[in-house]
Amino acid sequence: MKDKHWKANEALIHLFQTVGRASLLYDIQDSHCGNMVMRWIDERGKERMAITATGSQKGDLEPEHICFPSLKETDFGYYKASSESDIHAKILALEGVNASMHCHTKDLIIDTLDDEKKPSRPEPFYPTDPLGYYHLGGIIPVDWFALPSGSPQMVKVIPDRLSRHPVTLVQAHGAFSKGRTLTEAFFLQCVANNSGYIVRMMKKLDVDVEDLRGKIKSDPHAQFSYPLHEYRIEDDEACQFPKEEELVKEFYKTGARIFESRLSAFHTGSVSIRGVNTMFYAPNASMPREIGGPLLEISLSPENDDTKELEIHKFIYKETNFQAICHCWVPEAEAHAKFRYPGESKALERIIPIDAEGSYLYLVIPVLPPVHDIETFLQLLHDYKVVVVQGGGVWGVGSQSLSEVLHHPSSVREICLYRIGAYERGLDLRKMEPKKAHNW
Amino acid sequence: MNISSFPGYHGKILQIDLSKANISEKPLMPGVAEEYLGGRGMATRLFFDEIDPICDPLEADNVIVIATSPLIGTHAPTACRGHMVFKSPLTGIIGSPNCGGSWAHAFKSSGYDVLVIKGKSSEPVMIDISPEQVKIIPQAKLWGLDAHETTDRLTADPEKGKEYRILCIGPAGENLVRFSSVMNDKNRAYGRGGPGAVFGSKKLKAIRVSGRRKIFVKDEERYKSGLDQSQYLMRSAPITKRLMRELGTLGLIKLIDIIEMLPHRNFQDNLHRDDDLDKISGETLRKTILEKASACYGCSIACQRRTNVGGKKGEGPEYETVVMTGPNCGIYDLNAIARAHYRCNELGLDTISFGGTLACAMELSEKGYIPKKDWGQMNLSFGNGDILEKMVDLITARKGLGDILAEGSYRLAEHFQHPEYSMSIKKMEIPAYDPRASFTQALGYMTSPTGACHLRGGYAVSLAFFGGTKEIPRFSLLQSPIAIRNMQNLGIIQDSLGICRFTGFAFSTEPWARMASGITGRNFSTARMEEIANRIASLERIFNIKTGIGADEDTLPMRFQQESIIVGEKETRIPEETIVKMRKDYYQARGWDEQGVPRNLQ
Ligand code: SF4
Repeated sequence: MKDKHWKANEALIHLFQTVGRASLLYDIQDSHCGNMVMRWIDERGKERMAITATGSQKGDLEPEHICFPSLKETDFGYYKASSESDIHAKILALEGVNASMHCHTKDLIIDTLDDEKKPSRPEPFYPTDPLGYYHLGGIIPVDWFALPSGSPQMVKVIPDRLSRHPVTLVQAHGAFSKGRTLTEAFFLQCVANNSGYIVRMMKKLDVDVEDLRGKIKSDPHAQFSYPLHEYRIEDDEACQFPKEEELVKEFYKTGARIFESRLSAFHTGSVSIRGVNTMFYAPNASMPREIGGPLLEISLSPENDDTKELEIHKFIYKETNFQAICHCWVPEAEAHAKFRYPGESKALERIIPIDAEGSYLYLVIPVLPPVHDIETFLQLLHDYKVVVVQGGGVWGVGSQSLSEVLHHPSSVREICLYRIGAYERGLDLRKMEPKKAHNW
Repeated sequence: MNISSFPGYHGKILQIDLSKANISEKPLMPGVAEEYLGGRGMATRLFFDEIDPICDPLEADNVIVIATSPLIGTHAPTACRGHMVFKSPLTGIIGSPNCGGSWAHAFKSSGYDVLVIKGKSSEPVMIDISPEQVKIIPQAKLWGLDAHETTDRLTADPEKGKEYRILCIGPAGENLVRFSSVMNDKNRAYGRGGPGAVFGSKKLKAIRVSGRRKIFVKDEERYKSGLDQSQYLMRSAPITKRLMRELGTLGLIKLIDIIEMLPHRNFQDNLHRDDDLDKISGETLRKTILEKASACYGCSIACQRRTNVGGKKGEGPEYETVVMTGPNCGIYDLNAIARAHYRCNELGLDTISFGGTLACAMELSEKGYIPKKDWGQMNLSFGNGDILEKMVDLITARKGLGDILAEGSYRLAEHFQHPEYSMSIKKMEIPAYDPRASFTQALGYMTSPTGACHLRGGYAVSLAFFGGTKEIPRFSLLQSPIAIRNMQNLGIIQDSLGICRFTGFAFSTEPWARMASGITGRNFSTARMEEIANRIASLERIFNIKTGIGADEDTLPMRFQQESIIVGEKETRIPEETIVKMRKDYYQARGWDEQGVPRNLQ
């Protein structure tokens, strides 16, 4: 084996660098932790694993920080590779798996910490949001290990967990995910952390999380707006309207903002601009600058294989004059939508901003239950331009531009953050809400 | 207070037949108000029902409708605007200007909602409207007076307790100048499309109104919630709270130059020197000739300029006037422009068409197509600010070459056998934004129902450059058709509510929906208002088709198709295939057929 066979092609290096940077941006790594892995066929046709080097900075990977140990035997590649290499090699041996990832998913970690006497078997984590429910199978196993880094016990347990679940968590350490591609493995890490974050926010708002989990278990469809389609790995690089240079740029800018501002977890949410017969559609709206995602030109007419999300875009366009739509799974809104004012049992119908900018922009933001009639949804979009759906994300519409619709989830996130922060401090939200907003 | 079957309205249409000197009233049908709301929508519907589309615009058959809206008479911000519809003598299609000031509010206070004028008087007359009576009064002695003198005469010595508001024409309208305006409060104009000539052809010099009739608001709480919301948002948005008051619309001039959209020398290019623009900027106007900001009735934005040039006082000039009579004629002399503007207001000329027509004459002269012998005493060279004021007089009086210029740039250029030098669409002069710098603006001009107009066709400039989050790409084929349709629809809604476009810098339709619903007690949701806007756009189109125009007229002058300007360091023009594609998509977005005919032709 000569060194030259360690030289990955540019595309692979680029992918590792960009996913690495994105994971730092999304704050699910620290500077030197975690690892990324992909199945790799070398120039001789030999199956290897491309894995980040031990202690490498995932936000600033150089080509030499990617190692290529053999998948079949122990070779010198393992000297430099991550200390979790053995675990990843076994994950890659699972059927249909071409990539895996390990991240320090802080919110999920915090929410699954316990002070039980060890050894003990921690409780699994049950997501309360639709992304976590549908993409993670409604459960993330959590394991405690005496030696929680690269131990033989982990090599045994983690691949086994991942044979049955997309993501598994090592208590007080981080999550492992598998994927058909590296971006899918990253996607699952983001969704898992997002679920952890939402539960933490709900707890700050005194939402009865256990009660909610019980309800989700008995009837998920009553808690979530619609079942989510599977994560797609096809067409990631597709851009079907390259001639519209300004618009392509707008889509990428919008996607990057959604991701960087954490308005929706990686490759979730959707944005579109309509034309007369077709619409330009980003089905994975949250796109880090360098990774991107599919930009599709799609007929405005309904098709049998439309996802539910796409169906809603088309429906809004059919019924209204709006030109742009943005749908984001804003975690703060997801949590806040389940809030009840102390002493009140009524489900939340509107979020009233308590901050100056929020009041200026919205006055009130309507909240719909997960199951609602579509006419009400349209009516609210007409009147308020943005609607929060419990278990259904934030829908924003605009008569002109992507920028206009991006502003909706961005503002809603901030509005919810202030309210959650104020409530956490014990302030009385009712007193802080502008009185006139109750009429608007 | 009159509680009609449609709150927000008195429920009365006033009809005047000048041929028969007949005055009558008819009830306002609630169904029409439900379907067309008011202002532009209401006026278009009633006009459509009354007129023969192929009539001669300067004959008795032409019909003028001026409509108010349910918001006029309330405290809704800027709800002071009347909307006038007629067949335009400049374009031969629908004329549809909108005007602020105080007249429309006063007219509604006289107890009527809509005024319909038909026929033609044999002698100069004025119409005097008050709650007590309506009269047609011979006024030969006013004929020949300018709009300011007329207004002064008609407001002098009011009857006790009465305050008069005047709508009138100046000599330009009397002399049937095809781009003459109807003036309100001396300096506010129903400007575009030649309404002054239609008044003149009917020998209608003025309409005087007075009254104190109030309207009934059905659901005060709902109305107030929208009102509070609108006031709050207007106090917060910089353009509505401060910028317009401080700089007026002319504050835009440098911004429009930065985005390479400011026309120069009859749209030959978009190149200006910074120090030239400094001479005519809003900032300069403020430092030199501004006396104070002023406002239309009920408006806190106050974009109007009260100015003084060498002891002569007047109002304005606005951005459009300055650019069209200034840089577009190669002129950067603010005093000369302001004096010409004052004169246009006195004599009753539309300043956009005046500037566009003069620029066309200058180019025809420069290229030798207007022989020097026809110039008279005038040196028709680009950059000659000395002739501005004189040309207003010559055109108004139809003297010498002024007689041909009084026909507008298209007929002028055609007369000298070079119609390609008229920068007009459907014979109406293009306003002060070069369409090559934005597909959306180009499409707005092309599809404006009244000919090239940034207000009826959609003010896409704000979308592209200072629309905040609403900014759209300048050159998107996908986005332009729907973006401009939506912009046009917003304009139709605003015109039909009787409110000012500039409120759009603070908010869109939502607070208006609450106010309109509260006042009328009916559901005017934003969705319904959009439906109404689509209906009005189709009706305007149907009228235009009945006058004989079609898709071929929805185009741009050859200059914009063939000659490039530099935008963003790239040579840009709007080639024919782009025009055809955008037009086709726009028709489809409107639900019209491939020829631009509304499918629900009625
Ligand atoms: S903003 Fe200007 S034009 Fe509009 S209503 Fe106010 S003063 Fe009149």
